[in-house]
Amino acid sequence: MRSKYLLRFLALGYLALLLGIPVALVFWNAFQDGIGAAWAAVTTPEAQHAFYLTFVMVIVAVPLNTIFGVLAALAIVRQRFRGRALLNALVDLPFAVSPVVVGLALLLVYGRRDGWLGQWFADQGVQIIFSTPGMILATMFVSLPFVVRETIPVLREIGTEQEQAAATLGAGPFQTFFRVTLPAIRWGVAYGVVLTTARALGEFGAVSVVSGKLSGQTETATLYVENRFQRFDETGAYAAAVVLALLALVTLLAMNVIKPKEAQA
Amino acid sequence: MSIVIDSVSKHFGDFTALDDVSLDVRDGSLTALLGPSGGGKSTLLRVIAGLETPDSGSVSIAGEDATEKPPQRRNVGFVFQHYAAFKHMTVAKNVAFGLTIRKRPGWRMLARTARSEVEEIEARVDELLKLVHLDGFAHRYPSQLSGGQRQRMALARALAVQPRVLLLDEPFGALDATVRKELRAWLRRLHDEVHVTTVFVTHDQEEAMEVAEQIVVLNNGKIEQVGSPQELYEQPANEFVMGFVGPISELSGRSIRPHDVDILLEPHDGAQEAMIDRVLHLGFEVRVELTLGDGEKTWVQTTKGQADELELTEGEIVWLRPNGARVPA
Repeated sequence: MRSKYLLRFLALGYLALLLGIPVALVFWNAFQDGIGAAWAAVTTPEAQHAFYLTFVMVIVAVPLNTIFGVLAALAIVRQRFRGRALLNALVDLPFAVSPVVVGLALLLVYGRRDGWLGQWFADQGVQIIFSTPGMILATMFVSLPFVVRETIPVLREIGTEQEQAAATLGAGPFQTFFRVTLPAIRWGVAYGVVLTTARALGEFGAVSVVSGKLSGQTETATLYVENRFQRFDETGAYAAAVVLALLALVTLLAMNVIKPKEAQA
Repeated sequence: MSIVIDSVSKHFGDFTALDDVSLDVRDGSLTALLGPSGGGKSTLLRVIAGLETPDSGSVSIAGEDATEKPPQRRNVGFVFQHYAAFKHMTVAKNVAFGLTIRKRPGWRMLARTARSEVEEIEARVDELLKLVHLDGFAHRYPSQLSGGQRQRMALARALAVQPRVLLLDEPFGALDATVRKELRAWLRRLHDEVHVTTVFVTHDQEEAMEVAEQIVVLNNGKIEQVGSPQELYEQPANEFVMGFVGPISELSGRSIRPHDVDILLEPHDGAQEAMIDRVLHLGFEVRVELTLGDGEKTWVQTTKGQADELELTEGEIVWLRPNGARVPA
């Protein structure tokens, strides 16, 4: 009996120290000068632009990574081809590589002056580094693995019999995918989407390297928080951090609100 | 519709699943593919459905070459051992699946189905659910059904599209003994009602004999024999078929059905001396275990009436004689 409580105490205490108390302090600091001051801090033009840019990152990176993720999972689970193991391993690369390295790698490829493809893009009049496209690329890279990783196990679990049954009933490959496979794996995909969204919202390192940090131009919400903090605008930094935390929280809650329907089915 | 399989071979790596198999399945018949696991019977069924592509040979359904056709264009009904129910759909939606697909092919997938079509589908689903005794379960999910109910739903789903042939892969294999017996009898009656050419796979000889009109015995990727249950039992083509479709016993180095041996109390021409080791009373059947003069063990199946009449007791010396039944050449 005692060991049971000890276990709970350890788990909860660990979480509280690591997560609960620091996050609570962020909230506390944000509202130190009152709600009005916090509201004013997150509605400045720079702050609004930063949140807008973060929104752009999410709205581009999440759908693209979701489509790629489901297709990659299908290829890895359902097909046998040379390089399948390589694909499976490469998908995990963003987990293993530090975001700063990702940012530097993007500089090497797309950098204007000595980037591998940068000159060509520059000639076409497209600026990638120190601009939104580069930041989107960085965000996509770091949030790539989640949908793949969450989809693979559910895809394995459902097996191929339902798809074969659909085929014998007259369904072509697209109908089978949209009517049978996708509904069967939807919770795995949805969870992957939630994690991808949370990661895209919170990405700092890789985006920081390729953004150039031009306030009001290439500054996402996380970069804005850092900027405010460095300028000793504590209320501004903490208030923006609170908004980011709330957005992440809403994303996770949305998942838990829609999911229980499955259990009743 | 008839099915004609012409010299079909199929390999999985080094393993030969089907080795030059040819078979005719008559229109409207009820055929069992019987054999041990790994014998090739499931592979043959999947080749007919288009779920496996043969390495060589051809399959035609209703006189039409289907070898190159994908499963969705063969118009076959397929029932899987583990039901393959669409878990996210209700029973009604499962059964309606094939009909909905036909009403809304790919490019119209997002379009709304016309009301008259919806009503038509609903009426057909109701009719099918009655046929499989699942009326009243239309709005349940597969997870709320028992194994037997799920398999009946899978059958209704397969029948909904009025397939040219109905294929069942070990359809009762995952069910418990009582339900299995019930469903066998029910499948037989269903076939009498619906008359669709039906092929089912089983490793259970009793199931094959009870349900099928024609049995195909498959072993090591080859067809050993095709015949009615009676032909297979009484005129097995070889030792393997004989052993697979019924009990066997040995007498004078030959295989024989244990009920095709007479027990005599006196020596006789062509009869062998044996000593009774045990007499097992299994109700109507009595099983007598014996040791022959040369030390070989054998057994004989007889009836309670005969055993009582002969007053067989353990340790007694008797004479055994084949009672004229045919044995494989």
